[in-house]
Amino acid sequence: MIVVQLLINGIIAGSIYALVAVGFSLIYATNRFIHFAHGGFVTVSAYLIYLFFTLVGLNFYISALLTILIAGFLGWLVYKLVYAPLKKRKVSNAVLLIASVGLLILLENLMLLIFGADVKSVGYIQIRKGIEVFWGIITLLQIVIVILTVILLLILWFFMKKSRLGKIMRAVADNAELANIIGIDANKFCYLSFIIGTALAGVAGILVALEQNIEPVMGTGLIIKGFTGAIIGGVVSVPGSILGSYLLGLVENFGIWFLPSGYKDAIAFVLLFVFLLFKPTGILGLRGKDREQKL
Amino acid sequence: MIEVYLIHLLIIIGIYIILATSLNLALGYTGLLNLGHIAFFGIGAYVSTLLSINTSLPFLLIFIMAGLFTSIFGYLLMVATNKLKGDYLALATLGFNFVIYSLFLNWTSLTRGPLGIPDIPKPSIFGLIIQSNLSYLIFVAIVCCLSIGFLYFLLKSPYGILLQAIRDNELTCKVLGKNTFKMKWQAMATSAFFAGIAGVLYAHYITFIDPSSFSLYEIILILTIVLVGGLATLKGSILATVIILIIPEILRFFALPSSILGPAHQIIYALILILILMYRPKGLFGKVDLG
Repeated sequence: MIVVQLLINGIIAGSIYALVAVGFSLIYATNRFIHFAHGGFVTVSAYLIYLFFTLVGLNFYISALLTILIAGFLGWLVYKLVYAPLKKRKVSNAVLLIASVGLLILLENLMLLIFGADVKSVGYIQIRKGIEVFWGIITLLQIVIVILTVILLLILWFFMKKSRLGKIMRAVADNAELANIIGIDANKFCYLSFIIGTALAGVAGILVALEQNIEPVMGTGLIIKGFTGAIIGGVVSVPGSILGSYLLGLVENFGIWFLPSGYKDAIAFVLLFVFLLFKPTGILGLRGKDREQKL
Repeated sequence: MIEVYLIHLLIIIGIYIILATSLNLALGYTGLLNLGHIAFFGIGAYVSTLLSINTSLPFLLIFIMAGLFTSIFGYLLMVATNKLKGDYLALATLGFNFVIYSLFLNWTSLTRGPLGIPDIPKPSIFGLIIQSNLSYLIFVAIVCCLSIGFLYFLLKSPYGILLQAIRDNELTCKVLGKNTFKMKWQAMATSAFFAGIAGVLYAHYITFIDPSSFSLYEIILILTIVLVGGLATLKGSILATVIILIIPEILRFFALPSSILGPAHQIIYALILILILMYRPKGLFGKVDLG
């Protein structure tokens, strides 16, 4: 049954998009600009796990931990070096977007320069024959990815809703000025959101590296999917961006029923475009007025 | 040997000057945050290639038709994105680029997809075939001067001043009874027209096109040029094109393999773009800030 297979493929794709999207959306919520280079950090993380695990030969879990830590540090670094000075000058969001597109190209080409253009594979879990579930085929690795994603997203949701830090982050996201007035250093939380967001990109990078081959240009495709998922779900809302990502994964995979698979990126953008025009706040983004004020 | 190389560089510079000044018309003068300019470049290139391979129309007609066809896309993009502002507009136009790129890549019955289209005929004007690179350079130089001249007088005219007024305060222009939407789509269509003819010049010079000539990397290059030159200045865009295209040529003297040269170019462009945004947002001669 092709429908079941497309459904499974959609859910797997959606899981990876969701991991990219939540990091992106977390950064967007506190910083209010489109961090396009997020996809670049997913690529960098995929290469880091390849470097530590496959080239250096460290234990897989240590490699993964190192990758996530370095990703978090890189998030801090990029905010410190590029975004913070720009924000200090109070530049428009469009400038930040263009700077981050530049960063994405920079990261992709650094990876290309260091690791070469040929595809790499991590090869931690050998691709075994898929398991048949309801007329569809899924591999063990893919099941692990979906479950791991769901667990991570739940932890993140719990962190944002219940923990003190999470609550402050949401307060900053809601109204940075007001948060400043009651003595919260909003700037500190911009850094924090970059650290956590990019560490999540690290996790996404590891899972992508396990599931598919690594190539330098994969970040662009991933961030397109990630922010499309985030924006159609309602970009400031973490649950919204998860919902949007799964929706995108499904639409895309059912879309290639009618169109060649090369149109995947185009499908994402058309979906994004439709939402930008007719429902710019996304599915769960209820604060439409707020968004307009920021523009 | 050196002349061959210089002529090639000058032709590419001429093509990019048309591309950069036309982007500046939309981005700098009219304030339309268009990151989809390369799509216009690609549409022009593909349209003229397909027309000159599949029909026997005279080149000059194809040249104009490709430009006009591209400007239709400029109009459509403006209509579609008219409601959007700021970074959402930038994102939507960037998306337009990806959609057009996917079409080039996947509409294989028309574009041959990633294989590209080889053997594009050299242009012939009134029976005169432009075969050598030197004569092509003269042709590009003429088109380039005509384009700059047109843009220069357009932007100095009351119409051009009004475009800048729309950029600075659209509401006021509306209050004064100006149809700002009409002017905005006209500016976008004009900008697209010139990007389209730059595409024609490119396709018939290289005589081979494939989708990779119109990817995200090209957007970075053209944005870098326009931002280094500065917004709302033709002089800046022209000078910046020369500078930005010559800088990476220095790398050639180190005899690096092409696997390093390619990424090194992109890294240089991306770094220049980020640094100029951080330290000199108005570029060389820019009059206004971006956004």
